[in-house]
Amino acid sequence: MKYSYVDSRKKSAFTDDMQLLFIFFAITLLMLSLTYFFLLFKDYRFEQEKIELYQKGNDLNTSIYTMQNQIAFIEKQNALSEIVYTKNTVLKDSITNLFDLVPQRITLSRASLLENGLILHGITPNKDVYNFMLQAPLRSIFHRTYSSFYPQENGWLNFVSTNYIDKEEEELDEEN
Amino acid sequence: MKKINISRQSIYITILSFILLIFVLVFSFSLLIPQGKEYRMKRAQIKKISKNVKKLDNFNSEILTLLKDMQGDNRHIITALKTSFSEEKFLKQNKNYFKSLTLSKRIKAENEGEFIVYDVNTTSQMSSPKSFYDFLDSINKSDWIIGINFPIDFKRDGEMIYSTFSMKIYSDPVETNTTESNTTQ
Repeated sequence: MKYSYVDSRKKSAFTDDMQLLFIFFAITLLMLSLTYFFLLFKDYRFEQEKIELYQKGNDLNTSIYTMQNQIAFIEKQNALSEIVYTKNTVLKDSITNLFDLVPQRITLSRASLLENGLILHGITPNKDVYNFMLQAPLRSIFHRTYSSFYPQENGWLNFVSTNYIDKEEEELDEEN
Repeated sequence: MKKINISRQSIYITILSFILLIFVLVFSFSLLIPQGKEYRMKRAQIKKISKNVKKLDNFNSEILTLLKDMQGDNRHIITALKTSFSEEKFLKQNKNYFKSLTLSKRIKAENEGEFIVYDVNTTSQMSSPKSFYDFLDSINKSDWIIGINFPIDFKRDGEMIYSTFSMKIYSDPVETNTTESNTTQ
Protein backbone atom coordinates (compact mmCIF):
# COMPACT_ATOMS: atom_id res chain seq x y z
CA MET A 1 0.00 0.00 0.00
CA LYS A 2 1.34 3.35 -1.03
CA TYR A 3 1.23 6.18 1.49
CA SER A 4 2.89 8.95 -0.61
CA TYR A 5 2.68 10.10 -4.16
CA VAL A 6 6.35 11.15 -4.13
CA ASP A 7 9.08 8.55 -4.66
CA SER A 8 11.93 8.47 -2.20
CA ARG A 9 15.10 10.40 -3.29
CA LYS A 10 18.01 8.12 -3.95
CA LYS A 11 21.05 9.15 -1.95
CA SER A 12 24.53 8.91 -3.57
CA ALA A 13 28.05 9.45 -2.26
CA PHE A 14 28.87 11.48 -5.45
CA THR A 15 27.07 14.60 -4.52
CA ASP A 16 27.76 17.90 -6.25
CA ASP A 17 30.28 18.81 -3.57
CA MET A 18 32.09 15.52 -4.03
CA GLN A 19 32.18 15.93 -7.80
CA LEU A 20 33.67 19.38 -7.41
CA LEU A 21 36.19 17.97 -5.00
CA PHE A 22 37.18 15.20 -7.45
CA ILE A 23 37.60 17.71 -10.24
CA PHE A 24 39.84 19.77 -7.97
CA PHE A 25 41.81 16.60 -7.06
CA ALA A 26 42.13 15.63 -10.68
CA ILE A 27 43.40 19.06 -11.69
CA THR A 28 45.92 19.09 -8.82
CA LEU A 29 47.24 15.64 -9.65
CA LEU A 30 47.37 16.49 -13.34
CA MET A 31 49.38 19.63 -12.70
CA LEU A 32 51.79 17.79 -10.41
CA SER A 33 52.25 15.01 -12.94
CA LEU A 34 52.73 17.44 -15.80
CA THR A 35 55.37 19.33 -13.84
CA TYR A 36 57.15 16.10 -13.03
CA PHE A 37 57.05 14.86 -16.62
CA PHE A 38 58.21 18.26 -17.84
CA LEU A 39 61.21 18.00 -15.52
CA LEU A 40 61.90 14.44 -16.69
CA PHE A 41 61.71 15.55 -20.31
CA LYS A 42 64.03 18.51 -19.70
CA ASP A 43 66.43 16.20 -17.90
CA TYR A 44 66.48 13.92 -20.93
CA ARG A 45 66.99 16.91 -23.27
CA PHE A 46 69.84 18.19 -21.09
CA GLU A 47 71.54 14.81 -21.29
CA GLN A 48 71.21 14.85 -25.07
CA GLU A 49 72.45 18.44 -25.26
CA LYS A 50 75.38 17.61 -22.99
CA ILE A 51 76.44 14.72 -25.24
CA GLU A 52 76.13 16.99 -28.31
CA LEU A 53 78.13 19.76 -26.63
CA TYR A 54 80.87 17.33 -25.55
CA GLN A 55 80.98 15.96 -29.09
CA LYS A 56 81.20 19.46 -30.53
CA GLY A 57 83.92 20.34 -28.00
CA ASN A 58 85.92 17.27 -29.00
CA ASP A 59 85.50 18.08 -32.70
CA LEU A 60 86.63 21.66 -32.09
CA ASN A 61 89.64 20.48 -30.07
CA THR A 62 90.63 18.10 -32.88
CA SER A 63 90.16 20.84 -35.47
CA ILE A 64 92.25 23.31 -33.42
CA TYR A 65 95.00 20.71 -32.92
CA THR A 66 95.08 19.92 -36.65
CA MET A 67 95.16 23.59 -37.64
CA GLN A 68 97.88 24.37 -35.08
CA ASN A 69 99.95 21.56 -36.58
CA GLN A 70 99.35 22.99 -40.05
CA ILE A 71 100.38 26.46 -38.86
CA ALA A 72 103.53 25.04 -37.24
CA PHE A 73 104.34 23.23 -40.50
CA ILE A 74 103.81 26.39 -42.57
CA GLU A 75 106.13 28.23 -40.17
CA LYS A 76 108.74 25.52 -40.73
CA GLN A 77 108.24 25.77 -44.51
CA ASN A 78 108.56 29.53 -44.29
CA ALA A 79 111.71 29.32 -42.15
CA LEU A 80 113.28 26.80 -44.54
CA SER A 81 112.51 28.89 -47.61
CA GLU A 82 113.81 32.04 -45.90
CA ILE A 83 117.12 30.28 -45.16
CA VAL A 84 117.39 28.93 -48.71
CA TYR A 85 116.47 32.25 -50.34
CA THR A 86 118.86 34.18 -48.09
CA LYS A 87 121.67 31.74 -48.88
CA ASN A 88 121.03 32.17 -52.60
CA THR A 89 121.03 35.95 -52.28
CA VAL A 90 124.21 35.94 -50.18
CA LEU A 91 125.81 33.60 -52.70
CA LYS A 92 124.93 35.91 -55.55
CA ASP A 93 126.39 38.89 -53.66
CA SER A 94 129.54 36.90 -52.86
CA ILE A 95 130.09 35.96 -56.51
CA THR A 96 129.42 39.55 -57.63
CA ASN A 97 131.89 40.84 -55.04
CA LEU A 98 134.45 38.23 -56.08
CA PHE A 99 134.37 39.24 -59.73
CA ASP A 100 134.37 42.94 -58.79
CA LEU A 101 137.41 42.29 -56.63
CA VAL A 102 139.53 41.11 -59.52
CA PRO A 103 141.34 44.07 -61.14
CA GLN A 104 141.41 44.67 -64.89
CA ARG A 105 145.10 43.74 -65.20
CA ILE A 106 144.58 40.28 -63.73
CA THR A 107 142.74 37.64 -65.71
CA LEU A 108 141.07 34.74 -63.95
CA SER A 109 141.07 31.36 -65.67
CA ARG A 110 139.33 29.43 -62.93
CA ALA A 111 137.52 30.18 -59.68
CA SER A 112 136.34 27.59 -57.19
CA LEU A 113 134.04 28.73 -54.41
CA LEU A 114 134.12 26.35 -51.46
CA GLU A 115 132.08 26.28 -48.27
CA ASN A 116 134.87 27.96 -46.34
CA GLY A 117 137.31 29.03 -49.01
CA LEU A 118 138.13 30.28 -52.46
CA ILE A 119 140.64 28.99 -54.99
CA LEU A 120 141.59 31.29 -57.85
CA HIS A 121 143.67 30.46 -60.90
CA GLY A 122 144.75 33.27 -63.20
CA ILE A 123 147.36 35.32 -64.96
CA THR A 124 149.05 38.42 -63.60
CA PRO A 125 151.62 40.69 -65.29
CA ASN A 126 153.84 40.54 -62.21
CA LYS A 127 153.81 39.69 -58.51
CA ASP A 128 153.41 43.32 -57.38
CA VAL A 129 150.18 43.78 -59.28
CA TYR A 130 148.89 40.55 -57.75
CA ASN A 131 150.07 41.37 -54.22
CA PHE A 132 148.68 44.89 -54.12
CA MET A 133 145.56 44.57 -56.19
CA LEU A 134 144.29 41.08 -55.40
CA GLN A 135 146.07 39.53 -52.48
CA ALA A 136 145.59 42.56 -50.18
CA PRO A 137 141.79 42.56 -50.42
CA LEU A 138 141.73 38.74 -50.23
CA ARG A 139 143.75 38.88 -47.00
CA SER A 140 141.20 41.25 -45.48
CA ILE A 141 138.43 38.74 -46.17
CA PHE A 142 140.08 35.37 -45.53
CA HIS A 143 142.00 34.19 -42.48
CA ARG A 144 144.57 32.16 -44.42
CA THR A 145 145.83 33.00 -47.90
CA TYR A 146 148.41 31.03 -49.87
CA SER A 147 149.77 32.00 -53.28
CA SER A 148 151.98 30.22 -55.74
CA PHE A 149 153.31 31.43 -59.08
CA TYR A 150 154.81 29.87 -62.16
CA PRO A 151 156.01 31.85 -65.16
CA GLN A 152 154.50 31.85 -68.62
CA GLU A 153 156.51 32.05 -71.83
CA ASN A 154 155.54 35.71 -72.41
CA GLY A 155 156.91 36.79 -69.03
CA TRP A 156 153.55 36.95 -67.26
CA LEU A 157 152.88 34.79 -64.24
CA ASN A 158 150.30 32.12 -63.67
CA PHE A 159 149.09 32.17 -60.10
CA VAL A 160 147.08 29.94 -57.81
CA SER A 161 145.58 31.70 -54.83
CA THR A 162 144.12 29.50 -52.09
CA ASN A 163 142.14 31.27 -49.37
CA TYR A 164 140.37 29.89 -46.33
CA ILE A 165 138.10 31.19 -43.61
CA ASP A 166 138.63 29.50 -40.25
CA LYS A 167 135.28 28.88 -38.63
CA GLU A 168 136.64 29.26 -35.08
CA GLU A 169 138.14 32.66 -35.86
CA GLU A 170 134.97 33.69 -37.64
CA GLU A 171 132.95 32.86 -34.54
CA LEU A 172 135.39 34.88 -32.42
CA ASP A 173 135.07 37.84 -34.81
CA GLU A 174 131.28 37.64 -34.58
CA GLU A 175 131.40 37.58 -30.78
CA ASN A 176 133.57 40.70 -30.73
CA MET B 1 25.67 16.96 26.69
CA LYS B 2 25.24 18.39 23.27
CA LYS B 3 25.90 15.95 20.42
CA ILE B 4 28.16 17.22 17.60
CA ASN B 5 26.38 16.69 14.38
CA ILE B 6 28.82 16.09 11.46
CA SER B 7 27.41 14.78 8.27
CA ARG B 8 28.92 11.75 6.57
CA GLN B 9 29.53 13.92 3.52
CA SER B 10 31.77 16.25 5.49
CA ILE B 11 33.73 13.33 6.88
CA TYR B 12 34.36 11.99 3.34
CA ILE B 13 35.50 15.40 2.13
CA THR B 14 37.84 15.86 5.09
CA ILE B 15 39.39 12.40 4.70
CA LEU B 16 39.85 12.79 0.94
CA SER B 17 41.36 16.24 1.34
CA PHE B 18 43.75 14.89 3.95
CA ILE B 19 44.77 12.01 1.65
CA LEU B 20 45.35 14.48 -1.18
CA LEU B 21 47.48 16.66 1.06
CA ILE B 22 49.58 13.67 2.12
CA PHE B 23 49.94 12.57 -1.48
CA VAL B 24 50.98 16.05 -2.63
CA LEU B 25 53.52 16.34 0.16
CA VAL B 26 55.00 12.89 -0.44
CA PHE B 27 55.06 13.39 -4.21
CA SER B 28 56.66 16.81 -3.91
CA PHE B 29 59.38 15.86 -1.42
CA SER B 30 60.23 12.47 -2.86
CA LEU B 31 60.08 13.21 -6.60
CA LEU B 32 59.30 16.76 -7.63
CA ILE B 33 61.78 18.71 -5.49
CA PRO B 34 64.80 16.37 -6.14
CA GLN B 35 63.97 16.40 -9.84
CA GLY B 36 63.70 20.19 -9.76
CA LYS B 37 67.09 20.45 -8.04
CA GLU B 38 68.63 18.16 -10.64
CA TYR B 39 67.03 20.24 -13.39
CA ARG B 40 68.57 23.45 -12.02
CA MET B 41 71.97 21.78 -11.58
CA LYS B 42 71.96 20.38 -15.10
CA ARG B 43 70.82 23.69 -16.56
CA ALA B 44 73.77 25.42 -14.87
CA GLN B 45 76.10 22.67 -16.08
CA ILE B 46 74.84 22.99 -19.67
CA LYS B 47 75.27 26.76 -19.49
CA LYS B 48 78.87 26.30 -18.33
CA ILE B 49 79.66 23.72 -21.03
CA SER B 50 78.00 25.93 -23.68
CA LYS B 51 80.17 28.85 -22.60
CA ASN B 52 83.32 26.72 -22.88
CA VAL B 53 82.28 25.36 -26.27
CA LYS B 54 81.56 28.90 -27.46
CA LYS B 55 85.04 29.96 -26.32
CA LEU B 56 86.50 26.98 -28.19
CA ASP B 57 84.43 27.88 -31.24
CA ASN B 58 85.74 31.46 -31.19
CA PHE B 59 89.30 30.21 -30.76
CA ASN B 60 88.75 27.77 -33.61
CA SER B 61 87.58 30.64 -35.83
CA GLU B 62 90.64 32.72 -34.89
CA ILE B 63 92.99 29.82 -35.67
CA LEU B 64 91.17 29.19 -38.95
CA THR B 65 91.56 32.84 -39.95
CA LEU B 66 95.25 32.75 -39.02
CA LEU B 67 95.73 29.54 -41.01
CA LYS B 68 93.95 30.97 -44.07
CA ASP B 69 96.06 34.15 -43.85
CA MET B 70 99.26 32.14 -43.55
CA GLN B 71 98.25 29.87 -46.44
CA GLY B 72 97.52 32.97 -48.51
CA ASP B 73 100.73 34.77 -47.60
CA ASN B 74 102.92 31.69 -48.15
CA ARG B 75 101.07 30.24 -51.12
CA HIS B 76 104.18 30.24 -53.33
CA ILE B 77 106.32 28.44 -50.74
CA ILE B 78 103.63 25.87 -49.92
CA THR B 79 103.01 25.13 -53.59
CA ALA B 80 106.74 25.05 -54.35
CA LEU B 81 107.39 22.49 -51.61
CA LYS B 82 104.48 20.35 -52.79
CA THR B 83 105.47 20.44 -56.45
CA SER B 84 107.44 17.45 -57.60
CA PHE B 85 110.69 18.52 -59.26
CA SER B 86 110.57 18.23 -63.03
CA GLU B 87 113.99 18.38 -64.66
CA GLU B 88 112.43 18.99 -68.05
CA LYS B 89 110.49 21.98 -66.76
CA PHE B 90 113.52 23.30 -64.86
CA LEU B 91 115.66 23.15 -67.98
CA LYS B 92 112.94 24.83 -70.03
CA GLN B 93 112.60 27.65 -67.51
CA ASN B 94 116.33 28.31 -67.15
CA LYS B 95 117.75 27.56 -70.59
CA ASN B 96 117.75 31.30 -71.45
CA TYR B 97 120.43 32.02 -68.87
CA PHE B 98 122.90 29.50 -70.26
CA LYS B 99 124.31 28.37 -73.58
CA SER B 100 123.89 24.86 -72.30
CA LEU B 101 122.61 23.37 -69.08
CA THR B 102 122.84 19.77 -67.94
CA LEU B 103 121.42 18.21 -64.83
CA SER B 104 122.60 14.99 -63.28
CA LYS B 105 120.25 12.38 -61.91
CA ARG B 106 118.49 13.43 -58.76
CA ILE B 107 119.96 11.79 -55.65
CA LYS B 108 118.20 11.71 -52.34
CA ALA B 109 120.29 13.45 -49.69
CA GLU B 110 119.90 13.54 -45.94
CA ASN B 111 116.57 15.02 -44.83
CA GLU B 112 116.57 18.48 -43.32
CA GLY B 113 114.15 18.28 -40.45
CA GLU B 114 110.90 17.00 -41.91
CA PHE B 115 111.79 18.00 -45.46
CA ILE B 116 113.12 15.69 -48.12
CA VAL B 117 116.25 16.95 -49.88
CA TYR B 118 117.55 15.93 -53.28
CA ASP B 119 120.97 16.77 -54.66
CA VAL B 120 121.32 17.61 -58.34
CA ASN B 121 124.69 18.37 -59.90
CA THR B 122 124.65 20.91 -62.67
CA THR B 123 127.06 21.75 -65.46
CA SER B 124 126.50 24.77 -67.58
CA GLN B 125 128.06 26.98 -70.16
CA MET B 126 127.52 30.74 -70.24
CA SER B 127 128.89 33.81 -71.93
CA SER B 128 129.23 36.08 -68.89
CA PRO B 129 128.89 36.00 -65.10
CA LYS B 130 125.79 38.20 -65.44
CA SER B 131 123.87 35.20 -66.76
CA PHE B 132 124.69 33.40 -63.55
CA TYR B 133 123.52 36.38 -61.46
CA ASP B 134 120.25 36.44 -63.37
CA PHE B 135 119.90 32.71 -62.84
CA LEU B 136 120.44 33.16 -59.09
CA ASP B 137 117.81 35.92 -59.04
CA SER B 138 115.30 33.74 -60.83
CA ILE B 139 115.93 30.65 -58.70
CA ASN B 140 114.16 32.23 -55.71
CA LYS B 141 111.07 32.74 -57.83
CA SER B 142 111.05 29.28 -59.40
CA ASP B 143 108.38 26.60 -58.97
CA TRP B 144 110.51 24.72 -56.44
CA ILE B 145 112.53 25.57 -53.35
CA ILE B 146 116.09 25.28 -54.64
CA GLY B 147 119.27 26.18 -52.85
CA ILE B 148 122.51 26.60 -54.78
CA ASN B 149 125.20 24.77 -52.96
CA PHE B 150 128.99 24.81 -52.71
CA PRO B 151 131.33 23.97 -54.31
CA ILE B 152 130.78 26.21 -57.32
CA ASP B 153 133.40 26.04 -60.00
CA PHE B 154 133.88 28.54 -62.84
CA LYS B 155 136.34 27.74 -65.59
CA ARG B 156 137.16 30.04 -68.47
CA ASP B 157 137.55 28.60 -71.92
CA GLY B 158 137.99 31.28 -74.57
CA GLU B 159 134.92 33.49 -74.52
CA MET B 160 132.84 30.98 -72.59
CA ILE B 161 132.62 30.18 -68.90
CA TYR B 162 131.96 26.63 -67.82
CA SER B 163 130.42 26.25 -64.42
CA THR B 164 129.59 23.31 -62.22
CA PHE B 165 127.59 23.58 -59.07
CA SER B 166 125.18 21.52 -57.05
CA MET B 167 121.61 22.32 -56.13
CA LYS B 168 119.56 21.18 -53.18
CA ILE B 169 115.88 20.71 -53.96
CA TYR B 170 113.59 20.72 -50.97
CA SER B 171 110.17 19.13 -50.85
CA ASP B 172 107.45 18.16 -48.42
CA PRO B 173 107.61 14.67 -46.85
CA VAL B 174 104.92 13.26 -49.20
CA GLU B 175 106.93 13.76 -52.40
CA THR B 176 109.30 10.82 -52.95
CA ASN B 177 109.54 9.95 -56.64
CA THR B 178 112.68 10.49 -58.70
CA THR B 179 113.13 11.11 -62.40
CA GLU B 180 115.89 10.62 -64.90
CA SER B 181 118.27 13.36 -65.99
CA ASN B 182 117.66 15.57 -69.00
CA THR B 183 119.85 17.78 -71.07
CA THR B 184 119.16 20.83 -73.17
CA GLN B 185 121.57 22.39 -75.56
